[in-house]
Amino acid sequence: MFSSTREGLALALPAAIFALLLFILPVGILLSEAFQSDDGWTLKGYIDFFSKPLNQKVFLRTLKLGVLVAGTAAIIGYAAAFSITNLSPKARGRVFGLVILPLMISPVARTYAWIVILGRTGIVNDTIVGLGLSDTPIRLLFTETAVFLGLLQLFMPLMIISLLSAMENIPRDVIPAARVLGANWFQVFFKVILPLTKEGLVVGGTLVFTGALTAYITPAILGGSKVLMLETLLYQRVNVANDFVSASVIAMILIVMSFTANLLLKRIATARK
Amino acid sequence: MKNLISLSAMCCALATSAFAQEKTLTISTYSFAQDAYKAALYDPFEAICDCNLVIETGNSVERMSKIEANAADPVIDMAVISSQDALALSRKDLLSPLDLAQLSNHSKLYPAAQDPIGGNMAVGYTFYASSIVYRTDLVEINSWADLLDDKLAGNVSLPNITGTQGPLTLMMLNKAAGNEGTDFTSVISDIGTHADDIVTFYSRSSELAQLMNQEEVIAAPVGRFAWSRFKSSPLPFAWAEPKEGQAGGMNVMIMTKGNGNEELAHMFMNYWLSTEVQTRVAEALIDSPANSEVVVSDEVADNLTYGADLINSLSILSPADIIVNREAWVEQWNTEVIR
Amino acid sequence: MKDLTSWAIISVTLTFLIGPFIIIIFAGASAGEALAFPPDGLSLKWYLKVFTIESFRQSFILSMGLAIFGTLAALLLGVPAAYALNRYDLPGAETIRTIVASPIIVPGIIVGLALLRYLVIPTGFTVTLALFLAHTALVLPYAVRVVSSSLNNLRSDMEEAAVLLGCTRLQAFTKVVLPNIQGGVLAAFILGFVTSFNQVPVSLFLSGPGVKTLPIDMLAYMEITYDPSVAALSALLAFMSLAIVFVAERLLGFSRYV
Repeated sequence: MFSSTREGLALALPAAIFALLLFILPVGILLSEAFQSDDGWTLKGYIDFFSKPLNQKVFLRTLKLGVLVAGTAAIIGYAAAFSITNLSPKARGRVFGLVILPLMISPVARTYAWIVILGRTGIVNDTIVGLGLSDTPIRLLFTETAVFLGLLQLFMPLMIISLLSAMENIPRDVIPAARVLGANWFQVFFKVILPLTKEGLVVGGTLVFTGALTAYITPAILGGSKVLMLETLLYQRVNVANDFVSASVIAMILIVMSFTANLLLKRIATARK
Repeated sequence: MKNLISLSAMCCALATSAFAQEKTLTISTYSFAQDAYKAALYDPFEAICDCNLVIETGNSVERMSKIEANAADPVIDMAVISSQDALALSRKDLLSPLDLAQLSNHSKLYPAAQDPIGGNMAVGYTFYASSIVYRTDLVEINSWADLLDDKLAGNVSLPNITGTQGPLTLMMLNKAAGNEGTDFTSVISDIGTHADDIVTFYSRSSELAQLMNQEEVIAAPVGRFAWSRFKSSPLPFAWAEPKEGQAGGMNVMIMTKGNGNEELAHMFMNYWLSTEVQTRVAEALIDSPANSEVVVSDEVADNLTYGADLINSLSILSPADIIVNREAWVEQWNTEVIR
Repeated sequence: MKDLTSWAIISVTLTFLIGPFIIIIFAGASAGEALAFPPDGLSLKWYLKVFTIESFRQSFILSMGLAIFGTLAALLLGVPAAYALNRYDLPGAETIRTIVASPIIVPGIIVGLALLRYLVIPTGFTVTLALFLAHTALVLPYAVRVVSSSLNNLRSDMEEAAVLLGCTRLQAFTKVVLPNIQGGVLAAFILGFVTSFNQVPVSLFLSGPGVKTLPIDMLAYMEITYDPSVAALSALLAFMSLAIVFVAERLLGFSRYV
């Protein structure tokens, strides 16, 4: 460690100042608008916002989908991550690459694929009608299910990566030892794997939850104006009504939700001793 | 090193903006038929004026909001929007009255298009009828009430209340229920009870064209300006002539206040209103003319909202009525319909 | 037996994650007129059509420029910051770290809106400049984080040894540190580039008439066009991102630094 703090600060400050001026300041001012009214600082913006049934509905729906996506991603993520750790290192590397591949691609492209898949002339419907499960194609787009699927696909790689890096730290003989001692897979998971990987779960869970909360393209394209989420509602309020107060309120809510989720997950993780 | 990069970035940015300032006209318009407009209007105009057209597209309401947001330093010089959005902007004092002396084609317009919102703040450049487009192979539409009927349940889309077509649809549904006037409370409640049967509420006509082509929806109310998309589709569509008649509206041109480009803007508007351009646009089946001197063949006329008789038969919602009631409609809509 | 279940789970997961892509690639390769899968025959005509669209060319250039210069700027700010945070005992180090990482936490739309109202409109910056600054800010957290983890793996005694042996601090940095964190810096560049290129919410707000990034342009195009060229465009963009990552992987086993 070098001791010259002045030198250190000189190196670190440009980045900090840049972020402060160009980012924190404008965002901070915007968020403060949520607290303002003619008489100064109030919570009126929030009260007005939550008093409308539409906003309540959108808030609950966003929360619900966030939790569902994070939960499902965790379940599938654990299964996938565990399976990946059982592979040879070379295969593991390849599969890992395939898992992060989607992250590199624009969300626009990834979401658009779902239109082709879930549309009434898409493959899911073709299969359903082909198998005789229904006479006519069923409505899959513009539903919460479509948004759920889109978000799950978008963020699952993040969960898998977090869990994988946590799992790689489990000593290789712990699980076989547990099995030898008579534990079934259920016990192995809850008593061995989960406690040892809880930090990965916290990171992954937060990333997925926050991502699902703040995604824009996927709910916009797959949900439309019937399945509004907080982010698409925000966009609507700004673009159609120039309603910046609502926008700031929603922004604040989203940030608070992310922080809370993170804190909650951390708390659960540390409690599980 | 860092300074060099930032400097070069800034230079590039400044250079592009300086370049852009050389005789550019920035216009805001609907996203429809931009290719056709390029051939019929933008390219010929750029040749005449020796200038550069920068075009922003989107739906009327969103573009109106943008104009409002940029009021202090207008980015847009002139725009074409719905008459009610124009009235809203005018009341917020964001528009400049048009100088009729620079619009030589003004006298050729139909009377209704000459001063639609008062104070010469806007001129109409196109009329459109609104009716229901539907799949002839799957359903028949005879009345606006069919939209909420069981035969379309799960296969219909309605325009979002925030768009231009929204209130028009409400008006016609109201008519179908036997009411007149602008009290749409019962209509909105009705839509609310059927909300699950409606696939989605579209915000842009282009969105609807996609929905129809993807077969997510088999019928929906829309403006005539979107008809060419359905006509050229491989799927069989027809334009309904419901017993309550068709709704209609007029889109207008406006000029932002203090944009500094008034002369070029007027030149462009006048050109757009000229018989020559209005005929070209009509023949390309994009927009129906507001210039009364335009003459088109019967075949073309069939696909447009053409002729004084048709225009006079349309049910119109006055822009003032829309503005007064819009907020109440949106409130009720958000409470009862969006679920 | 365990291997079989493992492979089964992995296959299902990968199908879910990557399947949609494959579908888009083939849907874009349709010889027919409508967007459908399986496609109506195979043809590259829609892929070719994408290249003929003028506005895509312009927005592609803008996106590339923003991605390259924005990431470079972020690295120029971020590498020294990462180095300082790692090698020095700074007062308020946690605060600095949080400040620099903040762009990731805040929803993109808020960032876009805030920058539009409180940066662009008051200062009158051009749209392009605002986009450049925004993209730099968005990539900065990645730059700092990835380079930090790379620095963590590099023992500081090597630099100290170099200084003891007569190098100046700057020489120690350029001759010892930089070559060793090369991989990290490159990884940060790739990550930043891809993040910036695919960025939508912020660009959505800051884009103005005539100035659009490629994803925004694509969205606008998708709204009015319903033919396989949309799928082709999505697939092309995906290929581009993948190509960049593939090259990076070849050059340095990139996954080590994520």
